[in-house]
Amino acid sequence: MKDLVLIKVQSDPKYLSVIRSVTAKMGELYGLSESATEDVKLAVDEACSNVIKHAYGGDTYQSILVRYRMTKKGFEVLIEDNGVKVQPESIEGRSLDDIRPGGLGVHLIKRTFDIFQFVRRKRKGNRLRLVRFTK
Amino acid sequence: MEIEVKDYQGVKVIALSGEIDMYSSPALREEMMGLINKRVTPLLVDFKGVSYIDSSGIATFVEGLKCMMSYGGRLKLTGVLEGVRKIFSFSKLDKVFEIYGTFEDALNS
Repeated sequence: MKDLVLIKVQSDPKYLSVIRSVTAKMGELYGLSESATEDVKLAVDEACSNVIKHAYGGDTYQSILVRYRMTKKGFEVLIEDNGVKVQPESIEGRSLDDIRPGGLGVHLIKRTFDIFQFVRRKRKGNRLRLVRFTK
Repeated sequence: MEIEVKDYQGVKVIALSGEIDMYSSPALREEMMGLINKRVTPLLVDFKGVSYIDSSGIATFVEGLKCMMSYGGRLKLTGVLEGVRKIFSFSKLDKVFEIYGTFEDALNS
């Protein structure tokens, strides 16, 4: 087996805390600093919240797959769903100068991960690849 | 997350503890908007026990602040821990919200 951890979680917001706990533990195991681990935890939480909101339209009975592994490039997280395909071009957070609710999550993900990429190979649903380079 | 609404010297205080995320923020929104719809001012939010906040939590406070501004109300935040404060700073909201170092400062300002 490759050196990876994989969790499958029901798309219910009450389980986001489980994803956060595992993410924080993985950050610790892979040697991220405490501050980087906090950022990664928040970013993965935001990405999974987006899956629930947008890909599954709030349906809490679907599943989210989260894979963690350390690659040559760095700490990689793959987040998969079977929901509505996301149009990557349409993903843009609000301007941070525009003070209104919403639109902050994408910024919190992109400030943490060096690679933010939807893998197009997946036929159904979405696979978001996040990589934080290890410097 | 735990939400406690109390009166302190005639001022409404929402004391929070735990983590504010997509799961817990609807309950917070309901509690806070219930007070805001009654045009409560000032409204203090004590973050002392909050260890985590995500964008849905931030959005809840932005919505609350915007509603309060419409009637000249003041939303004051206090006890914000470093990790949570970083999120407010990143989103440039530390300049928008009244954030106080201590509960007394928030109360007396």
